[in-house]
Amino acid sequence: MSPEVAKVANGIGPWLMASFIVMLVVVQAVLYVKLAYKTADKLKMSKEVCSKALQVGMVTAIGPVIAIFIIMVGLMAVIGGPMAWMRLSIIGAAPTELTAATVGAQALGVEFGGADYDLTALGMSWWTMAINGCGWLIMVGLFASQLETLREKVSGNDTRWLGLLTGAATLGAFGYLNSGNVVSGGGNLIAVLTGALMMVGLGFMYEKVPATKKMKEYSLGIAMIFGVFLAVVLS
Amino acid sequence: MDKKEFDIVWKMPVNKIGRFTLLLAVLFSFLPLGYLYIAEGVRLDFGTMLKSWGMIATVFGAMYIVEPLSFYSILGLSGTYMSFLAGNIGNLRLPCAAMALEITETEPGTHEAEVVSTIGIAGSIIVNIIGVTLCAFIGAAVIKVLPQPVVDGLKAFTAPAIFGAMFGQFAIKYPKLAIFGLGIPVAIRLVAPKTPAYIIIMAAVFGTIAIARLFHTAAAKKA
Repeated sequence: MSPEVAKVANGIGPWLMASFIVMLVVVQAVLYVKLAYKTADKLKMSKEVCSKALQVGMVTAIGPVIAIFIIMVGLMAVIGGPMAWMRLSIIGAAPTELTAATVGAQALGVEFGGADYDLTALGMSWWTMAINGCGWLIMVGLFASQLETLREKVSGNDTRWLGLLTGAATLGAFGYLNSGNVVSGGGNLIAVLTGALMMVGLGFMYEKVPATKKMKEYSLGIAMIFGVFLAVVLS
Repeated sequence: MDKKEFDIVWKMPVNKIGRFTLLLAVLFSFLPLGYLYIAEGVRLDFGTMLKSWGMIATVFGAMYIVEPLSFYSILGLSGTYMSFLAGNIGNLRLPCAAMALEITETEPGTHEAEVVSTIGIAGSIIVNIIGVTLCAFIGAAVIKVLPQPVVDGLKAFTAPAIFGAMFGQFAIKYPKLAIFGLGIPVAIRLVAPKTPAYIIIMAAVFGTIAIARLFHTAAAKKA
């Protein structure tokens, strides 16, 4: 990015504009937590369960968020601080946003981040990132309630089947997310295998040595650290 | 609480909050662009905008539909609204929802599970927003202090390690299904490497659900 473009992209105006969506994400989370606590009360669930869930959600998030932090620094350099902050607060992970920013410049016949990447090209990058994210926002905003109706029909109020269905969907989703890394091999495969084996190993440990159950909520963080470490050392 | 009451207490307000916030987010998405237009006088050509929209929709368009559909049965209603606003679903929302259920020993598929996973996801969103906001202010300075191999390693291998770990956690519970969950997408990638991602994800998720249904019916017949 040229110094002139970077100056605009990192100006106070874009920071202000970006802050609206970041605040909206926080407001939505707070509204849902409030509703969840209220509903928990009516379901006669204990407050401790809710507080535990909140704590576990926060602790489990720390590892992945550190990675997002590091990736975001790279993104800030190429799309500017405010847009990196805004885009990584909402749908669309870093590779998706980079693709959109590049496509926006390409549509104009300009190389992303190149010498002729001017304010118009910057605008095209911002436009393409925004309109791409809106694909998911609009679909879910308009049709999520229909998906719920669909799920009710498929599950037919059979809780056991619904639990199994959720497990199967989770394994399918993570099977898909892992498949690329498994096929590509190398460090990626080592990270996948270490992560998986750590969780299996920890699971057995919690069973055999009940005293260790206290660490259960750090499982994902532990598996992540070992996975990254072995992948770096062995590849 | 029966289904009807739960719908009124939970689902109706969940839909209201979700619809409102997601559609407002659509509007807010274009604020920086509006700023460029007003303050910097940047005029974009409408035709080029449409062209760029078409190009990016060719890459991700199918995912707009396939991802909500595939993740819905894991995230539930409120989880879907939150996850598709805040993003980072595979590496952050799903793990946090799953761990919240696991630690509180809540049975999946119940009303209680909806409440617990919602709170777990909300917790992850708060930490996420704190993280990116800190990064916006001190990110560049922090990276300079960290050794390069640490930065490179975390960048390259965090996502694979998390994906592997989550798979491992569920593989203990459903070992037979795990074979299909990983086997289907890996087989597709090996046999037909050019298959688009949206087909692989659908085949993996709905293929594994279909196998689970077979097991479930077989078990029900035996019982």
